[in-house]
Amino acid sequence: MSRYRHLLKKIGWSAFTILFVLILNFFLFRVLPGDPVKSGTHDPRLKKETQEALRVRFGLDKQVINCFETLNPIKLGKCDLNPFDTQFFIYLRNLTRGELGFSFHTNRPVADILVERLWNTILLIGAGQVLAIIAGMVLGIFAAWKTRTSVDYGALITGLVAWSLPTFWLGILLLFWGSNNGFPIGGRVTPGTSSYPFSYQVGDIAKHMILPTLTYTIVYMGEYLLIMRSSLMDVLSEDYILTAKAKGLSAFQILKDHALKNAMLPIVTIVAINLGFTVAGAIQIETVFSWPGLGGAVFEAINRRDYPVLQGVFLLIAVSVVIANLIADLTYAYLDPRVQTE
Amino acid sequence: MKQRYIFLVLMTILALLISSCGGIAASAPVVLRIGWAGSPDTVNPGTAVLSEAYTIFALVYDTIYEYQLDGTYKLDVAESADVSDDGLTWTFKIRDGIKFHDGQPMTAKDVAFSVNLYKNNGDFIYLNAYTTNFDTVEATDDNTVVITLLNAVPNMDYLLSYLYVVPEHVWKDHAEAPASTEFENVAMIGTGPFKMVEYKQNEFVHLAANKDHFSTSPKIDEVVFQTFESNDVLVQSLKTGQVDMITEMPATAVEALKGDANIKVLTGSPYAPAVTDIIFNQANPENCPTDVGGICSGHPALLDRNVRLALAHATDKQKLIDVVLLGFGTPGLTLIPDGLGPWYNNTLNDYEFDVAKANQILDDAGYLDTDGDEVREMPDGSRPLNFKLHWPSDSIDSPRTAELLSEMWKEVGVTLELQAIDPDALTAECCPAFDYDIMIWGWGSDPDPNLLLSVYSTGEIPNGYNETGYSNPAYDELHTQQGIELDADKRREIVWQMQQIVFDDVVYIIPYYDQQIQAYRVDRFSGWITDKPKLELSDISSLLVIEPVR
Repeated sequence: MSRYRHLLKKIGWSAFTILFVLILNFFLFRVLPGDPVKSGTHDPRLKKETQEALRVRFGLDKQVINCFETLNPIKLGKCDLNPFDTQFFIYLRNLTRGELGFSFHTNRPVADILVERLWNTILLIGAGQVLAIIAGMVLGIFAAWKTRTSVDYGALITGLVAWSLPTFWLGILLLFWGSNNGFPIGGRVTPGTSSYPFSYQVGDIAKHMILPTLTYTIVYMGEYLLIMRSSLMDVLSEDYILTAKAKGLSAFQILKDHALKNAMLPIVTIVAINLGFTVAGAIQIETVFSWPGLGGAVFEAINRRDYPVLQGVFLLIAVSVVIANLIADLTYAYLDPRVQTE
Repeated sequence: MKQRYIFLVLMTILALLISSCGGIAASAPVVLRIGWAGSPDTVNPGTAVLSEAYTIFALVYDTIYEYQLDGTYKLDVAESADVSDDGLTWTFKIRDGIKFHDGQPMTAKDVAFSVNLYKNNGDFIYLNAYTTNFDTVEATDDNTVVITLLNAVPNMDYLLSYLYVVPEHVWKDHAEAPASTEFENVAMIGTGPFKMVEYKQNEFVHLAANKDHFSTSPKIDEVVFQTFESNDVLVQSLKTGQVDMITEMPATAVEALKGDANIKVLTGSPYAPAVTDIIFNQANPENCPTDVGGICSGHPALLDRNVRLALAHATDKQKLIDVVLLGFGTPGLTLIPDGLGPWYNNTLNDYEFDVAKANQILDDAGYLDTDGDEVREMPDGSRPLNFKLHWPSDSIDSPRTAELLSEMWKEVGVTLELQAIDPDALTAECCPAFDYDIMIWGWGSDPDPNLLLSVYSTGEIPNGYNETGYSNPAYDELHTQQGIELDADKRREIVWQMQQIVFDDVVYIIPYYDQQIQAYRVDRFSGWITDKPKLELSDISSLLVIEPVR
């Protein structure tokens, strides 16, 4: 019974968080100074009448919410309006219908942009994450097991250095190295090859992924390595490990059956949080390698005050972070039964 | 044993991959790869803002008139143009036998439909602006388009050079709002020398030659524009041969690329030159546009021409060009850049850089340093000549320009408070609020001087395009005249006169006009057009004649 209550409570909190983000998202971007109609178009060809027409098309001719005409600068407006004649309630109504609207900048449906960019991001950052987790955990386990040996110190230094490398700097270094060794240095595919055989295209994407994935792996591997190492060292100093050793178990059995499961908790947290943020992309890596992911979409949308895209991306990020955390919570309960009884 | 099988399978796949690659190479079409640092925001001409979109439109679409690199226009889909004596009725004969990329014939009806499309959609962001003076647009038969105007204008060729001919059979379902702006137009059916194959936003644009085009067809089979988000990577991609040409590059990379025997670096006047301006707030509190949010809080000293003149004399433009642009620029005079060819008044004599003279002007005008802090005060002693200097935070060049100005103007007893500001916040304080002292900003340009000249006019103060608050009835009168003067030479005279006026009044200091820097690999394609007044390697004129190097 308590297990279901625990689950329901967690899901309830997650739903509440997402609702809060939904509302915050709307106001967050409207508090920024700037006018989406004029952003990025410093050009006298944009007539006053056209600006008005655009404002109507974007729905910006309506009040932000009852009593407030605009939020930056704060301008008071009418209070006795039909709420569904204000931007805020139209936004909420459209969301309940599953409509994210059209981008101000590209005039494409936001949902299309999100799906396109999301796949690219998941492909790149997902691959980088998986590699980083595997490499970091394996190295961390080695370091903890061979504690205070040259293996340990080597791994520790590698981890610290990798973790503190500026991402864009490492990216540029790898890019210059890669460009002289025949690796493609920009984009997701070789343009103009979409009619080539499927096998070619898979290979082409893989080739384009090598440098950015490597960058991502190196930087994030350090984090996993350090946490795995310290967490496992803690566990290995426990008495029951000594008992296990005394029983004559092999190193592999001790790690597998006694140490690792208990050392996993902090790693699960980090993995879950990072997986949630995977969706946010890695703006720096995406920019260095011209990878068309979500990070770049956010950057562009902020510059253009593209409210619909910003709202869509932030909603997506919030949902994925909340879900990742929910999964972490549930995994916790599985790994450590004490969690749910508390 | 199991592992060995896996190994064998992998090797087979690898072998297949390699062999399939070889097969492609043997029958490969001639592909020109262009690298650029942008991407079209959309390929719907009605809603496009970014210049990259217009580059693609120029290749895929035809127009009634085409703008060329020598600054002149030539007829494109029309073979003749006639204008009535009163200048109000234009009759265009459309060529026979033009086909859209989908095989359907193009007639005068499509041309008239297209112009009406731009005219009827008030929220078409730029192209609608070219049609405001059109009264009616009609196809009287399959070969004739008649456009009647509200007022006779001298620049019909320019107005029609951006109105791309689109097929009525595709656009008729998207002719009205909101369908006209929601239409993504990814198939981009046009009649131009290149046709759209695939467009992936922020990734690439893939075009193929239209071998049926009525003018000369290209010698290359395909063109790919690939987006690189960083300029350094763009340069690297040219160096390693991943692209054959790049449309822009940072001045800092020029020296490095010049040493490469396979790369040719070119500089010249851009197709649409950008103008950087130093803007003085001259909005007078007495005629402040308060009804549209005018605050007009500028420093009172800037209302005095003597102060602006002294600052002009205290500005070493050559040093700005050398430091900020690494030499790739020419000294500026007014908002009409030298790249606009005949419209640029080349008879103006720039204010010479002379600190002593600048000091003298300020002394004579009564701006003296009365309290010995090396900063001059207003003649009545009320305020020091200490100005806020703001620029958009996304500008790469402005911080250096601002630092240099701060040093230069200190020599004449003027101090600056430097601050980069978010572009949108800058718009908010700029105009029509006039809540600033001095700003560094800039304008893109059009082939015709009309719009840039309107930036100085009183009528644009409430619209926010007049960013200085400068108001001069004599200038406004000339601005109206140049818009209706049908004789090209007389119009040029008026335009030159207008530049003289705003130059004499020191409305702006224009530090420089940027130069375009482009580069291509000499081992890939030859025949690039580089001897025209304007430099644009991705212009149709080059893409029609370049040939692969064998």
